[in-house]
Amino acid sequence: MIRRFGAIAPIVLWVAAMACGLWLVTARVSVHSELADLLPEGTTATQRLLLTQVRTGIAGRILLLAIEGGEPDALAQASREFVQRLRATGQFDVVGNGEQALAKPDKELLFRSRYLLSRRVGLDAFSVDALRHGLEQRLDDLRSPLASLIKETIPGDPTGEFLGILTGWSGQEGPEKYRGVWMSGDHARALLVVETRAAGFDADAQAAIQQEIRTTFETVPGRPASLRLLMSGPGVFAVETKRRIEAEVWWLSTAASTLVLLFLFASYRSVTLVLLSLIPLSTGIVAGIVAVDGWFGFIHGITLGFGITLLGIVDDYPIHLFSHLHARGSAPAVMRAIWPTMRLGVLTTVIGFSSLLLAGFPALAQLGLFAVTGLIAAALTTHWVLPLCVPAAFTPQAVPRGIVPALAQLAKARWLVPAAAILATFALLWSDTPLWQTDLASLSPVPEDGKRLDQQLRQELGAPDVRDLLVIEGPTAEDVLQRGEAVMAQLEQLRADGMVAGYDLVSTYLPSRRSQQARQQALPERSVVAANLQAALVGLPFAPGLFAPFLDAVEAARTQPVLERDAFQGTALGMKLAALLVEQPGRWTAVVPLRGVADRSRLGEAVAGWQAPGAAYVDLKEESNRLMTAYRDRTVAVAAWGLLAIAVVLVVGLRSIAVLWPVLMPMMSALIVVAALLNVAGESLSLFHIATFLLVVGLGLDYALFFNRPEGAGDERARTLYGLLVCSMTTILVFGVLACSTIPVLHAIGMTAAAGSFCCLLFGGMMAEKETSPDV
Amino acid sequence: MIFGRLLHKALTSAALVLLLGGAALAGVDAPSAPWTVEALVALLKEQREPSMAFEEATYSSLLTEPLKVRGQLRFTPPTTMEKAITDPFRERYVIEGERVLFESERKKIKRTISLEDYPALRSFVAAFRASFTGDAAQLQHVYETTLDGTRRQWTLLLRPREKAGQSMVDYILFTGSEGRVATIAIRSPDGDRSVMTLLPGASSGAVR
Repeated sequence: MIRRFGAIAPIVLWVAAMACGLWLVTARVSVHSELADLLPEGTTATQRLLLTQVRTGIAGRILLLAIEGGEPDALAQASREFVQRLRATGQFDVVGNGEQALAKPDKELLFRSRYLLSRRVGLDAFSVDALRHGLEQRLDDLRSPLASLIKETIPGDPTGEFLGILTGWSGQEGPEKYRGVWMSGDHARALLVVETRAAGFDADAQAAIQQEIRTTFETVPGRPASLRLLMSGPGVFAVETKRRIEAEVWWLSTAASTLVLLFLFASYRSVTLVLLSLIPLSTGIVAGIVAVDGWFGFIHGITLGFGITLLGIVDDYPIHLFSHLHARGSAPAVMRAIWPTMRLGVLTTVIGFSSLLLAGFPALAQLGLFAVTGLIAAALTTHWVLPLCVPAAFTPQAVPRGIVPALAQLAKARWLVPAAAILATFALLWSDTPLWQTDLASLSPVPEDGKRLDQQLRQELGAPDVRDLLVIEGPTAEDVLQRGEAVMAQLEQLRADGMVAGYDLVSTYLPSRRSQQARQQALPERSVVAANLQAALVGLPFAPGLFAPFLDAVEAARTQPVLERDAFQGTALGMKLAALLVEQPGRWTAVVPLRGVADRSRLGEAVAGWQAPGAAYVDLKEESNRLMTAYRDRTVAVAAWGLLAIAVVLVVGLRSIAVLWPVLMPMMSALIVVAALLNVAGESLSLFHIATFLLVVGLGLDYALFFNRPEGAGDERARTLYGLLVCSMTTILVFGVLACSTIPVLHAIGMTAAAGSFCCLLFGGMMAEKETSPDV
Repeated sequence: MIFGRLLHKALTSAALVLLLGGAALAGVDAPSAPWTVEALVALLKEQREPSMAFEEATYSSLLTEPLKVRGQLRFTPPTTMEKAITDPFRERYVIEGERVLFESERKKIKRTISLEDYPALRSFVAAFRASFTGDAAQLQHVYETTLDGTRRQWTLLLRPREKAGQSMVDYILFTGSEGRVATIAIRSPDGDRSVMTLLPGASSGAVR
């Protein structure tokens, strides 16, 4: 009885552990889908700013909307109704369609603060001449058809400072208007912009918001049925990407698992074995999830999907076991026989995946931890639990014997392996296709017409591209505002020269405290202003005492508190200021979105030429590509060290240097050949390829180790070879299906792994050591 | 000159009646039609001159005496209107479709604004445009119209129907005789007003 219990103890332990793990997975583990969670902190200030912008920046939160499919009047009416309802949802910081640019409280505050804000208030602001000039202009105003629009501001603002401020702001020309709302030039689309509270990359939140926008649109009263809503922006892309990946992953994984299960059944003719083969994989997945969640506090959806793919390699372990079963030996005995080889394969693969852990990129670190834990758990399960589950009565079908002589034939071509590697190296060296993928955008699964619509709406709306920014940094908000004022003239020059079509600088709206105080000090005393006004009014037909509000306002402005950033809190203008002037730990940054940049390198030079402290031009796309490149290089470097470590482990494990050659060479050749094949097919390598290469390293080592098992003779050798064929075939099936994906990343992984598995098997076979006893 | 033109029209009408017979009668013989806003604006359009000189006086509570300007009103079919002030300073408003070009020599400004941004201004412009392009339906859509007097001596009172229009205009009062406008008085809600007197015959591009 006790003996019996000792025998099944591993199974009991495993069941307990799995139950625990599954409970944790369902009850405790949080799966995130926000891409921003996987982004690194960034090492330079620019990178940190970039990543903050990507995570929460205004450019990412903007959605561009358009209504089309109706007469211009119907579009305008729908636009107005739609905006009112969108505002009521409370999901948006800003909803704009061109109606009333400035809210009433903003307007009142601006009017009250006109003498602090107006750039024209200088030392001689209220001299007799300046006042006379202003007063004459006001007379012209009164005679103009627009008189009633400005009449009420005249007594308080005879020099027209308030209008001057608004005119200065409206320099940024908006889209064309029709019936008071933004409309495309051909009046075919009403245009709107909304700024979501949720970050652009928060795909779940964005999906909910976009659904709400659609529902809101459909319930606009009196909307003609022909009207359609178009939507674009980073948030839309994020949702679309997620939807496409989820849809494809579902059918890809269904197809792949069906194929593999059918293939395994065809190979072993046993439903039991097919089901048993799922044990290590499922154990690995549960262990991986628990480990990643325990360490990082969450597991990302991408880690999960990609990690399970990488763990596909553990399916080889049960296959090795099943293939080596034979009538005379029990499953535990077979396990003991192949364990040394399998153990070495597991160890070297773990070393390979560890390089992901050390790359310093959260996304890859999660993946590395997931793969390493999963591998170890799956290997241990295969060793301790699986043999006990194999029915004792199980007799495998006879292994086709022709497999051994066939291998001997193949081994004659062993010189092909180094030759292929050399050929592939040359192909890579002479290729016109760049080896590395530096443009992240090419990995985006967003379809071309989606990108085109975005471009078009962006242009019609004059919305800044997500790409070009001028940043001005400083230790305090005041410093940044002063620095912004210092480059105002240069920015205006850039626009005059056509280098940029437009810009949005915080200092345009909010002068620095220093400037405001300077203006206050320049304001003369009441008696002086009154005397000057008296002189300026001579001969002009203004009613007596009309300008008393003006005198009061100048007097009040001299002691009025200066305007700060938070004075506009809660209004549309306040939102704008908050987006344009960003606080980061220990520093402040003015983010200046640029529109219509003509020549990026020239712009970069021009900005550098200003030698303005803290100011720099940032090409977000270039910067993010550079960031990814840095992480890729680091991953490659770590992986290279990993290979060296693998070699050392192999030498120790195999107790021979000579056997290194047939074990390492096939895998290395396979890597080079796969890289060359991808390159010839016109694909450049990305971070995703690198991670998949590590999988190929694991596969290659596993195959080569089994090809060169010391116990390689007779039937045992035939069983080993058969097992390897099954292993490789399952891998090729799974990843071959993945290679059919239209999503660039999945396609890359699939191609790399499928081709890699095939090359590793072929090369491993070619380089396999000859049988020790030739005739059995 | 006006009478010459009328005579010419009458003769042409007579000839047409003779030529086409009774069928053409109803459409051509205006004098027998009832005196309505439709008839008035049709007549205004018919007898509109491409350019008219005007004098305008602005009375405001902000001022101790009225401000006076002189200039030209011009029409280019179908919908372009221009008000050009020539004295005592030069300033121009060209209203074309939904856009207003504003050009001031003294302020050194040349700017285009969209009527869409100024709903009040929009209904204001509609009064002139609809009157001079014979669009009675549009005029009555934007304004409550009251036509008094006789064909020889009429007044047309316009009161804006919409709130936006009311914020800028209390009423607009046209006076005239036959198809000729004599004065246009505009009163704003705060009591300020301007009176434009159109000067017949002093037309053409002489000033400019």
